Amino acid sequence: MPGRPPIGKPDLERLRVRFIKNDRLAYLGHLEVINTISRSVRRAKMPFSVGNGFAQRMRIQFSQALPVGAASTCEYYDLYLTERVDEGEAFELLRASTPKAMAPTEAHFVKSKLPALEAWLTRSDWDIRLFGRDFDASALGLALEDLKGIGKIDFMRGDKPRSIGLDSTLVSWALEDCEKEGEWDCVHMTLKTRSSNLGALRPAVLLEAAFKTPVLAGAMLDSTRVLRQGQWNEAEDGSLIDPFDPGQLL
Amino acid sequence: MRLARKDRFSELEPLLGKVLHPARYLDHEWGATEEQDGPFHACLIYPDTYEVGQPNLGIAILYNELNRAEGISCERAYLPWVDMSALMRERGVPLLSLESSSPVASFDLVGITLAHELVATNVIETLDLAGIAVRSSDRDEDDAIVVAGGASAWNVEPLAPIFDAVSLGDGEEAIVDIARCVRSCRERGLARAEILRELSRVENVYVPSLYDIVHDETSTRWGYAVPKEGTGVPPVVYKRCIPSLAETDPIPQRMVPYMGIVQDRLAIEVLRGCARGCRFCQAGMTYRPVRERPASQVIDAVCEGLSVTGYDECSLSSLSTTDHSQCEHILRELKMRANQNGVRISIPSQRLDSFGVDMASAVSGGRKGGLTFAPEAGTQRLRDVINKNVTEEDLYRAARNAFENGWKRMKLYYMMGLPTETDEDILAITETARKVLAIGREVCGYRRGKSGVSVSISVAVFVPKCYTPFQWQGQLGRDEVRRRQQLLLQSAQDRDIRISYHDSDSSVLDAALSKMGRAGFEVVMEAWKRGCRFDAWTDQFSYETWLEAGRSVGIDLEEVAAETFDLDARLPWDHTSPGVSKGYLKREWRRAVQGVTTPDCTMTSCVGCGVCPTLGVDNVIAGDRHAR
Ligand code: SF4
Repeated sequence: MPGRPPIGKPDLERLRVRFIKNDRLAYLGHLEVINTISRSVRRAKMPFSVGNGFAQRMRIQFSQALPVGAASTCEYYDLYLTERVDEGEAFELLRASTPKAMAPTEAHFVKSKLPALEAWLTRSDWDIRLFGRDFDASALGLALEDLKGIGKIDFMRGDKPRSIGLDSTLVSWALEDCEKEGEWDCVHMTLKTRSSNLGALRPAVLLEAAFKTPVLAGAMLDSTRVLRQGQWNEAEDGSLIDPFDPGQLL
Repeated sequence: MRLARKDRFSELEPLLGKVLHPARYLDHEWGATEEQDGPFHACLIYPDTYEVGQPNLGIAILYNELNRAEGISCERAYLPWVDMSALMRERGVPLLSLESSSPVASFDLVGITLAHELVATNVIETLDLAGIAVRSSDRDEDDAIVVAGGASAWNVEPLAPIFDAVSLGDGEEAIVDIARCVRSCRERGLARAEILRELSRVENVYVPSLYDIVHDETSTRWGYAVPKEGTGVPPVVYKRCIPSLAETDPIPQRMVPYMGIVQDRLAIEVLRGCARGCRFCQAGMTYRPVRERPASQVIDAVCEGLSVTGYDECSLSSLSTTDHSQCEHILRELKMRANQNGVRISIPSQRLDSFGVDMASAVSGGRKGGLTFAPEAGTQRLRDVINKNVTEEDLYRAARNAFENGWKRMKLYYMMGLPTETDEDILAITETARKVLAIGREVCGYRRGKSGVSVSISVAVFVPKCYTPFQWQGQLGRDEVRRRQQLLLQSAQDRDIRISYHDSDSSVLDAALSKMGRAGFEVVMEAWKRGCRFDAWTDQFSYETWLEAGRSVGIDLEEVAAETFDLDARLPWDHTSPGVSKGYLKREWRRAVQGVTTPDCTMTSCVGCGVCPTLGVDNVIAGDRHAR
């Protein structure tokens, strides 16, 4: 798949780090995540490599942007280092200098010639709780079936009209009703999505469209709690490759 | 009403997905003080959004001092943006502190920073959202004590009815004294009125409710403040002035925000005060004397600060960084020790001479964006009036030096409506820009018919501020400002000269708020009731609403802004003083009219502004300023 090339030079060491994003920090935007991690890397005194331009930016690449408000157990970055350091020590230093709600959970050196994470990680699993009024799992299921039948969603990003096809991006879902939370009805959803160079399906876009279908007329979605709980590369044979798969490691 | 202290983040959280920039409300930044055990709780508030308030060095300093003090905890709060405050009101969520998400109305002490005049309605909005009575006189016995301080506290009268007390001058020691005083009063079970009386005995603290406003033939229409009978408060409250910066924490700003803020970098205060004596500049008069931080401390602080925060940029902040007597040494050392791995050092403003350009060059590395100079006035005559001690030659030499060093874009700051200004002064602005452009084209040459050189001129409307030699002057009327703006626009006929203006309507409000006495509070209150807030944000500011608010309480804001005061009148702010004597200010006004300049006392000898003898302090120069 075409995508951004890796930014490392062959003589650099490529440290892959998995980190979480939860609690309040779920509300950080992608740029804020990048800034926070970059500052954590500087605080950890990692021997990071910088680009050649005037700005001398840190050589670091992130997995695909997580929507604002979504938490995650499995975000990734590849950090390019000028020298090999002890993996465990690097992990501890990063952990000590990163805010707890974005703490690294694993770090390993990977092969330097791998594709960039952003385009390579094509599959995501989501765990979602929806809070609102006058809807339940079966109605939401019907709404999603309707959308799947239409095959695409037209939506606005800011003031720009956008469209996303569902045939490839919407892999599957499962729904169940759960206990009311305060005044709100609650439905639990697990969702599998696939991204390509044509775009990624954001849970919020899917849900917003679902609540606009006739099946859910009169229902109201107040808020959602979204958690990304897995990211993989989908190989041509459909198998899922973990970013720390032995084939990736150095 | 005092609210219970408890974590109410769960009430805010459902709103985060519905507002712009939820990162404004998150807290838990790297370096924030998480332990908030008290038992005495203070909350410092910058009454604007998080990204505007968080870089404020003053709050960072006070935050650390309070958190360091035994038995005192300090948190922060900012004013939520209009989308969030609307939702909070709808759902009954009061303004919360960042660290513990407790209601601001549950705190013992609330400190509000007044960074500029246009925050007036935001102060009211902040208290209202918090559920704290706006007027000091309406507060309940156990409500928080509300204190103000900051750069624009010198004429605090239009907001005086809000504050229980106002801290004047350097706040790092005063805020702890204030907190200790309130705590001890509460422990002793004193009534609110007695607490305010005790606060008035803390040095450099002004308690507005203990002063009456008197109108007589010696005053302006705003009257002047005198101690209420029997209170024993001083007729004039002077500012607190720490004698030396070397004893203060050089790295107060250890907190690293998540969201992009307006000055997203480490800031190290390299000196406080400026004695150049520009006659329009309030900061130059109110922050005197000059206190330099020793070079070695600055250098170590930059290195340590970058290491603990992970920032990739450090600003050497002050009113005039390139005036630091060891500036060259500091920048040279920092280049060796800190300027690696993409780390940048920046200095906020350039001195208008070749030394300034050399220093800008020293920190710029390969990056050559725009270089900014502030000649402030178009002719030498007017520059002498305002005591901007630079010559035409200084500017051209600096410009040539800058172009030779690789800069191509020059930005020149000017003011319009300065006392004695004529059309000739206005036309001279474009004349200067043309000459700078010609120098640039000569130095840079042409490639395919283009030199790439440009000059942009940014013109603000002059606002007379208290405690400057121009404090008696009225602001130039709006129509005349417009005429002069047109004159300037028409005179610039080169498309490589760009002219931009600051919003002149908000300057009128700024001038009115800078001039009014205590009665001005009614206008502010009325404007807030009519929906004014975030007046410093051009998309939120409504000039018409302000004018209407003024009219409804019988005050014509345009007339107030343009009003000239008699040189011998007692002024509305005479009782809250930074130590600069009125005699000096009058003398400076007379010299201004005559076009006579006054030197910088850190380069020559004392010019008698009165600050040092009045406050018992002195300039503290780390090296030798005469050497240049
Ligand atoms: S009293 Fe004299 S030395 Fe002190 S700041 Fe004023 S002019 Fe300078």
